[in-house]
Amino acid sequence: MTDVERLFRTYNVALVRYLTRRLGDRDWAEEVAQETFVRALRQTSIQNERAWLFAVATNLVRDEARKDMRRRKHLALLAEEERDEIVEPEETTLERAQEAAMARKAVDGLAERDRLALLMREEGLDYNEIAEALQLSPGSVGTTLSRARRRLVESYEALQKSQEEREKNAAS
Amino acid sequence: MQHPDEGTIHSWLDGALSADEATRVETHVKECPQCAVTVAEARGFIAASSRILTALDNAPRGVIPAATPKKRVDPLVWRVAATVLVVAAGTLVVARNRGSNEQPADRVMVSRQQASVAARVPAAGGPAAVAVDQAMPKAVVGNASTIALSGKTGTSDSRFGIPARENNALEKRGMMPAGQAAAASEIAGAAAPTASTFAPSHVAGVVVTDSASEPEPLKLVGTPWRIGAKVTLYEVAPGDTVTLTESMPLALEQVVTGISSTSTAMQATSKSAAVPLKARVDTAAITSAADSQRAASAPPSAPAVSAPAPKSLPGMANTLHTVTWTDAVTGNALTLTGRMPKARLQEIKIRIERERAAAAAKKTP
Repeated sequence: MTDVERLFRTYNVALVRYLTRRLGDRDWAEEVAQETFVRALRQTSIQNERAWLFAVATNLVRDEARKDMRRRKHLALLAEEERDEIVEPEETTLERAQEAAMARKAVDGLAERDRLALLMREEGLDYNEIAEALQLSPGSVGTTLSRARRRLVESYEALQKSQEEREKNAAS
Repeated sequence: MQHPDEGTIHSWLDGALSADEATRVETHVKECPQCAVTVAEARGFIAASSRILTALDNAPRGVIPAATPKKRVDPLVWRVAATVLVVAAGTLVVARNRGSNEQPADRVMVSRQQASVAARVPAAGGPAAVAVDQAMPKAVVGNASTIALSGKTGTSDSRFGIPARENNALEKRGMMPAGQAAAASEIAGAAAPTASTFAPSHVAGVVVTDSASEPEPLKLVGTPWRIGAKVTLYEVAPGDTVTLTESMPLALEQVVTGISSTSTAMQATSKSAAVPLKARVDTAAITSAADSQRAASAPPSAPAVSAPAPKSLPGMANTLHTVTWTDAVTGNALTLTGRMPKARLQEIKIRIERERAAAAAKKTP
């Protein structure tokens, strides 16, 4: 097994999930993940594999977003259309769809660094890896994560509350 | 120890602190209810944020425009399109076939006599219906460019080609898709062309004259002389002739019905012998044509009654019939031959007798 294959088998699932949560699109996430592993091929040596992969993937997304903001807006529009056309799986209830929409909105409301740190932590990266990937000091990761978590949850709860109020108004 | 900040608590809960730092935080939280609340709250944030992020995993695919999403055509659309194509192609084929048949349908050739029969029979239903010419042959339909309903006893000059679009005096009795002309013609050539047979048929493209509804007067068209006999050709209807043979010295008292003889056939077709018989494709027509051709090739002096009677299918449309009687005035034997039912021959015979009596009355005032 080559190094790239090992890297792929070890980190692909987490990297794609991280990118999916980051981008909101599974295909795009897989595409960025593949590009990340392709770039790993060109590296002679990688000290911290997971930190390097998440950092490269994050930068790929960031650079791509910088290069083509219009494309991103177009993607957002397409994503909106897709959401209307998507046939949800049977187990996906309306409640789950609403949760996903609110989660996306809450995550998008976070600061970029907070969001990335949180997403990386969710994929099991330790504080040093997150610090390396995001070029932070290891001591600030805890603060970043705590802030991100609080804001995410508070934002989500606020969205949840307004949703409940809308439902109440609709019922009454 | 000071109260640890929220970041340190998260770091402690995430296991990111060193062993010494973790021990200090753990000791303080046990002793500090305020920090214990903060720790409990942090645990809640960690769990909640993790759950919220999990909700993002249900992400759609195919948002990237790099691979432009192609609208898939529903298989049902393909099926419908294929069905429409097949139906359209079939319709085109049928329309073309009809078109090729309708073209010659305009050039249907029908003898006026037959047209008059077609016109008269449904209207009259009386004696005229009985007098329907049974000898109407089948039309040649299909690849033939001309549908020729030739007269049985028809001579070359009695066969009228009447283009439907060229004669204003003609009226179309009924139109039928040319593709059905074959069936209609088969009906027309069938053994029993009664009113009920003709009326619904309305042979396609058959055109009739307005005057055809009335019987044509007997018209003398020729008087070829034969040894020992006076032969008179009457045109009883346009395109339909009968032959009256008056045997001067002989007094034959016989009536021959149902079977035509070679000599009478020759007489009936004496004028049309040189004309190729067209469009006689059915068995009866071929039999009749062969019969006529045989008769035409026979010497004109052939015996009138001694020739063997060829077998003919009884009741077929083109059977030659003969009626023989003795003239009350002259005492001569009269033989009336025509390719028509015997009943009609009898009717014509009465008309001939009437005319002969009138002529005799003029001669001897």
